[in-house]
Amino acid sequence: MSGGSARSLGKGSPPPGPVPEGVIRVYSMRFCPFAERTRLVLNAKGIRHEVININLKNKPEWFFEKNPLGLVPVLENSQGQLIYESTITCEYLDEAYPGKKLLPDDPYEKARQKMIFELSSQVLTNKKTTFFGGKNISMVDYLIWPWFERLEAVELIDCVDHTPKLKLWMEAMRKDPTVSALITDAKTLRGFTDLYLQNSPDACDYGL
Amino acid sequence: MASLQRKNRFHPSVSFPLTHQIDLYLERDFPYTEPSHSKIEFGAGGPRLSAAVPGCERWLMRRRLESMAEDATRALGKGSLPPGPVPEGLIRIYSMRFCPYSHRTRLILQAKGIRHEVININLKNKPEWYYTKHPFGQIPVLENSKHQLIYESVIACEYLDDAYPGRKLYPFDPYERARQKMLLELFYKVPHLTKECLVAFRCGRECTDLKLALRQEFCNLEEILGYQNTVFFGGDCISMIDYLFWPWFERLDVYGIADCVSHTPALRLWIAAMKQDPAVCALLIDKNIFLGFLNLYFQNNPDAFDYGLSC
Repeated sequence: MSGGSARSLGKGSPPPGPVPEGVIRVYSMRFCPFAERTRLVLNAKGIRHEVININLKNKPEWFFEKNPLGLVPVLENSQGQLIYESTITCEYLDEAYPGKKLLPDDPYEKARQKMIFELSSQVLTNKKTTFFGGKNISMVDYLIWPWFERLEAVELIDCVDHTPKLKLWMEAMRKDPTVSALITDAKTLRGFTDLYLQNSPDACDYGL
Repeated sequence: MASLQRKNRFHPSVSFPLTHQIDLYLERDFPYTEPSHSKIEFGAGGPRLSAAVPGCERWLMRRRLESMAEDATRALGKGSLPPGPVPEGLIRIYSMRFCPYSHRTRLILQAKGIRHEVININLKNKPEWYYTKHPFGQIPVLENSKHQLIYESVIACEYLDDAYPGRKLYPFDPYERARQKMLLELFYKVPHLTKECLVAFRCGRECTDLKLALRQEFCNLEEILGYQNTVFFGGDCISMIDYLFWPWFERLDVYGIADCVSHTPALRLWIAAMKQDPAVCALLIDKNIFLGFLNLYFQNNPDAFDYGLSC
């Protein structure tokens, strides 16, 4: 099952019916990295599921009954139980379903995975300055930037709405003269990626 | 409202960790403004009982003072010797007597009856060796006899629940566990807002907007209790989520923001019920000691963390 090849539901769409037994539903969006986490776990554990894509730019009114915050991903099971927040959905699936455990059984090893995750997230939440190094752009910002530049090319850019500090950082980065002088537009990046994945020797010269 | 319960260490239902047996004198209802007097006075010789307290109460309070908190030790600072390895059968917590995040973890240690030792850290003058325990020098950190380190208060609390036997504080059911974690998300603005109110209050600044924002957060929590129609956030019995919330509510009074629960009756009932819990009671911090700490802390006095220790 793909990440929902179904069109997203928007304002005015009828609410979906109850979830059939034996299946769990995930409210998702094809390009959202947070929702992807949940879909990764569903697939890794071989859990039978259905996907309903939500139009995040035009949310259906009924969606706020699934998650008052109006964010994806949200899980809904046949008992009508709703679970949201991507990390909570992932942990729920690991606990509620049999098969391969993704989180270790050992309490310390499980805690260690959570600490690593938490520390890396903390870098963003503790961020009190515009740039990662302080008030002005510096080395660490340049080191991280290229991965975020490519976010646009794969349309994940809207999901930094979850993390406003990251969004503000990206906007600030684009204004930097060095970054803007070297920026590659999304279209070109996509063109390159397509050819590169086909192993084409012309990939590296795309756009010249 | 539960009746006044008087428990002592001979009461069959009471069980405490070996390191901490105290008599409990449980206070009745917690009104949203606490009376300003306290039964403990502070003079040059340290804390002592106010003369106005009647005989049997004095005995009970004295017992409480004598065996007060096994975390009543001086905070270690720069130049201190690193502590040795943790003995088998014990878990160590690096803590600070007034830190709400450490408080969470100490509540779980208490509630589960886990044998532990406490090392307090001077947060204004951290020992160099402490950065080998936590990369950013934060507390709380758990260290066990296998040299394993666990940090982040919520992760530490979950680790203790998983690793130690006895009463489970998180529910068994995966959905109910997920629900408690979703509730925790609802709480995330409270620590920051209470801290900002405290700082504004202490610096003589306006904090009406902050208090309004805090009241809004409390209204959200009130709604949950109303919708669930339960005393505690996890149901009819105290559980993990209640302990994770508690430290900030205990601090409302000393932070000068106790009136922020004036419009939330279910939350006030929850506070009163929490104050009847043995683990909460055992760790309750005396108001005057806390105020003494806050005074010194805001004067940037590095001895703040040891305020109220008699030796």
